[in-house]
Amino acid sequence: MERFVRSESAGKKDAVALEQCIMEKGKPATSGSKMLNNFTAPFDAEVVSRLNATDTSIAGRVEMREFAVGGSFFDTQFGSPAIEALLAGDAGFALCSDVFGEIRSKAPMAGLAYIHPTYGSVSRYGLIPLAASMDQIGVLCKGLEAGFQLLSKIAGSDLKDGAMLSEKEYEYTKINRRLRIGIPTKIVALASEADQTAIKSFCANFETENIDLTHFEIAKQVMTILAFAEASNNISRYDGIKFGYRANEYKNLEELYVRSRSEGFGLPAKLAAIMGTYVLSRDQYESYYEKAMKVRRLIKNSFEFDKYDLIVLPLSISDDAYENLSLYALSPLAGLPSVSFQYEGQGIQLIANSKDENALITAWEVAQA
Amino acid sequence: MLEISKYESLTKLNLTEIERTQIEKIANKLIVSFEDLREIDTKNVEPLVSVLVLQNVLREDINVKSISREELLSNAPEQYGGYFQVPKTLD
Amino acid sequence: MKYEIVMGLEVHVELSTQSKLFCGCSAKFGADANDNVCPACAGMPGMPAVTNQKAVDLGIDAAIVTNSQITRTMTFDKKNYFYPDLPTSYQITQWFAPICRNGWVEIETERGKKKITLKQIHIEEDAGKMVHDARSGTSMLDFNRTSVPLIEIVSNPDFRDAEEVIDYLEKLRALLSFAGVSDCKMQEGSMRCDVNISVRPAGSEKLGVRTEMKNMNSLKAITAAIAFEANRHIDAIETGSEVLIQETRGWDDDKGITFSMREKEDATDYRYFPNPELMPIVISDEWIERVRSSLPETSQDKFVRMTQTLGLPEYDSSIITRSKALADIFDQTMAHFDKPKEVVNWIIVELLGIAKGDNKGEDDIRIDCRKFADLIRLVDEKAINRNVGKKLLIKVLEEDVDPENYVKEHGLGMLTDTSLIDKAVSEVLAENPKSVAEFKEGKLKVVGFLMGQIMKKMGGKADPEAVKSILQSQLDQL
Repeated sequence: MERFVRSESAGKKDAVALEQCIMEKGKPATSGSKMLNNFTAPFDAEVVSRLNATDTSIAGRVEMREFAVGGSFFDTQFGSPAIEALLAGDAGFALCSDVFGEIRSKAPMAGLAYIHPTYGSVSRYGLIPLAASMDQIGVLCKGLEAGFQLLSKIAGSDLKDGAMLSEKEYEYTKINRRLRIGIPTKIVALASEADQTAIKSFCANFETENIDLTHFEIAKQVMTILAFAEASNNISRYDGIKFGYRANEYKNLEELYVRSRSEGFGLPAKLAAIMGTYVLSRDQYESYYEKAMKVRRLIKNSFEFDKYDLIVLPLSISDDAYENLSLYALSPLAGLPSVSFQYEGQGIQLIANSKDENALITAWEVAQA
Repeated sequence: MLEISKYESLTKLNLTEIERTQIEKIANKLIVSFEDLREIDTKNVEPLVSVLVLQNVLREDINVKSISREELLSNAPEQYGGYFQVPKTLD
Repeated sequence: MKYEIVMGLEVHVELSTQSKLFCGCSAKFGADANDNVCPACAGMPGMPAVTNQKAVDLGIDAAIVTNSQITRTMTFDKKNYFYPDLPTSYQITQWFAPICRNGWVEIETERGKKKITLKQIHIEEDAGKMVHDARSGTSMLDFNRTSVPLIEIVSNPDFRDAEEVIDYLEKLRALLSFAGVSDCKMQEGSMRCDVNISVRPAGSEKLGVRTEMKNMNSLKAITAAIAFEANRHIDAIETGSEVLIQETRGWDDDKGITFSMREKEDATDYRYFPNPELMPIVISDEWIERVRSSLPETSQDKFVRMTQTLGLPEYDSSIITRSKALADIFDQTMAHFDKPKEVVNWIIVELLGIAKGDNKGEDDIRIDCRKFADLIRLVDEKAINRNVGKKLLIKVLEEDVDPENYVKEHGLGMLTDTSLIDKAVSEVLAENPKSVAEFKEGKLKVVGFLMGQIMKKMGGKADPEAVKSILQSQLDQL
């Protein structure tokens, strides 16, 4: 599969690359899967319509890991075609869907930044779903200021998506507010010394508060259970019948199903299908899926934005990718906006309250000054 | 431990030996980690289905013509006379 | 040994909405294959579901007319299974919080009145249609019905015989069609019924093995299927000829038998879970009141109005009020011609007679009620006679003619000129001396024959009462 499919505007400074999960009418939308190699998008995603309406050029389409099932589970190195496209100068931005944190974790090390907006602020119409309760299109950018400008073009309610906030548009600007940063000290202590130094230096610009993020460790399990369950359901539609990959040889319907899915899906989709089906199965539902939804509520309630405006987190606390998943699970699980970017050579993540993207921009700008 | 063949049949998958080994390895690690959920007290906690606190998101009952049948069927692996076509189901 | 049959029903009814449950495609029946299909209801990714408000309104209607307790916060869930007629491989339904529970419907059989209790009603989306093509050995898929809104009405196992089942279905059809919830046409599949049946020795508390029957597309088929399946169960119990298993069975209408479709599905795990992109629907008192106050007259209310206010016979009123289509024709015709007895007679005797002759159901009668009313008035005012009226009705049904114009253009107006009738009577008596002789011998039967001859001579347009009286007086004078 091509890692970057160029459009005419490829190479323009402000052109936007789209991950393969974002549909452009008449173009293949693979979502990184052989299953959808020959699937042509029947309509434009809402974000594409909004880019077109604001005369924003589209640079092309970037490959992604199959259905955005995160890399934390696999040994194989996939890299990030979206990041590559920006580094190569093919695009100035990329729109991605990053539930598992794959791009959020890698962008800062490449000198780029990623904005994961408040859940429900960007339309999912035309986004090939992984997990609807967490899917949210975000912006990979070179700098957060320009990134938020692009985000303001695509954000805002859309009646075609029933899970959206009511705000019709968003203006993201720096605010005159003294920001307080919550530092989850126990988590930060697990980061490398270099990361800890960078976080300390970043926080020196603000008032700080040492905090304890209860339920942090369990976030990875909750995310994995919920995302795989939703994903297993969302990808069950790919069965070789209506569109997408169909096996060449089959004797009957059952074989058509099994062969098309076994040949069309890669390991990420298969893992999500099997694990998601397992956690939703009658015998496991209560102890896994329902339990995870309950713990998700505890996680969402564990944020205390009356005590701080932002939370700072490192991008790695372990050599085990799965352990690191908790760092990236928090904002999708709680629907909160976050940014990750490079500061003094190290990656940092900030999480703000719902719809308080302005705190993120402000913090970033203050720290740059 | 995960009885993987049961889930292959539910998901209409037939894994290769290599895939089965890979998935089993990841799955078993995950399932062990899921044990931690038991220790969290969720008594009187309602499941959270969506982070949005919205209700009654409804649309009016009006027809919206979408794409044409030709466009719809253009993605079909097999079609005939306006229908999607599949092998006979009752074998 | 005596046996007791125990049955519970799952009735699916398609809701009368313009558009589908979660997308804007037309829900209309009868379009060309896949004409009412968009990427969403063809199972393609990327189109989030948004619920049709009208479907919820109609669900509340159904809850009200079945005396059910409305769930104040209802939700939608996903049910997973693979089948070609289900393009997303999941059905959006209500598993955890259906729209209502604990309703009841009163039925009346020869043994008297009985309440059938309902477990719940839930809203869900319909599946598509699969047509088997014998020639190519393939199946063809049409997704026009995919995602059309349904309610499933789940009863408790309260039924003891087929008569109760049929009365319940007729009662449900009347309740739901009068409320505008659905047109409830079994032949078009907008009303479908699955019967769960088991048999036990009379007096026993323990339920027998339960089978579920599907694919019966008429009340007649349901009655036959119940009889067949109950006998099969009894045979199995008495003779041990076969071992009953819990399973789903289809009904073969041609052969008159049930057959095994698949084993009931403890093996199948549907993995229900809440749909995270559909927000909960909170049904307030105000919402229920708004729906209740806009509910049309129920069939029961209409029956009372017809018998008590309009003074019509109970028998006639019950025929009119068992079908929404007939009741609508009655009301709309009455709006143009306000003689209830005449209108009811024309509907029951003539309109239903013609429909029956054409093998049409009551719901399939299409008539312009203003024209129907004009026609009845013409007969009532003796502008045409009844026989001409009957022929004219066929013209109205088939060619949509305007009765008054048609009568004028074709000179069908009733002949009441007594001198003309007198002349025709004299001629007929002169032409039929044999009949006249028989009359004199006391054979009164010939009067009918002579009447017919006179009417024929006058092109069928004479006033039959005038003809009768003039014929009588001429015969008396012989």
